[in-house]
Amino acid sequence: MLRQLPLLVVLGCWVGYSYSESIAPYYGTTPNAASGGHTWSMDNVLPSGVPGLDIDLVIYNYTPIKETQDDMIVHIQNENANGTGYIFRESDDWSGVRGGTEIRKVVPVTPVNRSQWGNGSIEVEGTGTVDNASVIYNYRVDPCYNPQSNPNCPEYEVQIPEIETVDVDSLYDPLEDETVKNATASTDADRYDDEDSLSEEERLKEEEEEEKDSKERLEKALAAVDNTIMFAEAFAQDQLLQAMNMAINMSPYYSASINGGTYKESVVLVDKELPENKRGLRNGLAQQLLHEKMIEMQYNK
Amino acid sequence: MFKRLSVLSMILVSIQLVPTAQSAEVPINGTVQSRCVITTDTAGVYGNPNAYTLTTDPSSGGQLPVVRFDVTLADAYYAEITAPTSFSSSPTLPDTVTWTGDTTVQTVSDATGMGQYEASKVELGMTDKYDLTATGSTWFKTSSVATMGGNKAFPGGNYTALVEAQCIAQ
Repeated sequence: MLRQLPLLVVLGCWVGYSYSESIAPYYGTTPNAASGGHTWSMDNVLPSGVPGLDIDLVIYNYTPIKETQDDMIVHIQNENANGTGYIFRESDDWSGVRGGTEIRKVVPVTPVNRSQWGNGSIEVEGTGTVDNASVIYNYRVDPCYNPQSNPNCPEYEVQIPEIETVDVDSLYDPLEDETVKNATASTDADRYDDEDSLSEEERLKEEEEEEKDSKERLEKALAAVDNTIMFAEAFAQDQLLQAMNMAINMSPYYSASINGGTYKESVVLVDKELPENKRGLRNGLAQQLLHEKMIEMQYNK
Repeated sequence: MFKRLSVLSMILVSIQLVPTAQSAEVPINGTVQSRCVITTDTAGVYGNPNAYTLTTDPSSGGQLPVVRFDVTLADAYYAEITAPTSFSSSPTLPDTVTWTGDTTVQTVSDATGMGQYEASKVELGMTDKYDLTATGSTWFKTSSVATMGGNKAFPGGNYTALVEAQCIAQ
């Protein structure tokens, strides 16, 4: 069991890591949008930098403050960012109803992307005010809103960059290059030996010389190899001899013995009265007097 | 005697020969989901502002109990909420206790449909009766004050009282 435990811990960590990389949609809620007043910007309420965010629920509560006979309608609303009107508007008619009773509402909405949610507000129509207002948005985030954002998304497509094809011949023609022309231009033939012009006798002579040189190089190589082998053998023998000598030199130390016994104290001090050093006493007293004199000089005495 | 026996035996035989009547009972099962659900939203706490008073008033260190009624069928139920009139558990008391209490609508989920609940409730002693005319959730809070008679002190210990909430079909 003890052995399994670390493995389980590791697996647990791995599962947790996998979850963080998950592409499954997740949900969240905003803080109270109306905490700073009765109008708010959705950019300040919703998390930033999350493209696939849809709002699917609005939860609000407030307490109307009014007289029973007054007409009062409260609108909780968000403007349509991509047009006119409202993307969300919930109205509570408190006309003829006594105030002071809190309302708490959970309003499901068709999931709409955050880009369409404009500024939010609490609007009071009629006589009365709103107290202790809270507006919270529930949202859903689809990590694969843009499939290219994560390779794990089902619609992810591997992007192959388009490589522009170029006609190399049109860019560079080596036959037209001056340097190439110079390099390939015919040269003066008289400046080089022409092998075809050698006679048969000269060719045999050259072959013999080459064969002779080859043999000499082979002999030199074999001699070098022999020298190397001899050097290695000599070095090995030397090492062997040194090891043997070392063994011989060390043997006496191993066999040496130290004589034991008791070494008795040979010096004996006899008790005797030691007189005071009067000279030293006098010297010490003089120094003390001098010291006190110096101290008194500090106080101008 | 013989005749009687033979007649009796014939009757017995005839009873065995004639098939008996068959009967069976077939059950019909059904489940009715309640369309009125009562949930305790907040448990109450008694504060003890002086030796002879226990109260749920927040200004005296108490906490009002809150109960929620979730109704999915309008005009079908009454909510009856009764403030406590005795302790369900307490130390031995030295004198009688005087009880006061009241229930009010704290929160609604529909202003138009539930806005009149408080105004149209019926009070009968410590019991408040509400006509649940709209679907949705309604939160009711109940205040409770217990005063010891003769200005005697409440003995030390734990005190528990119960608010009774009922959903009664109309």
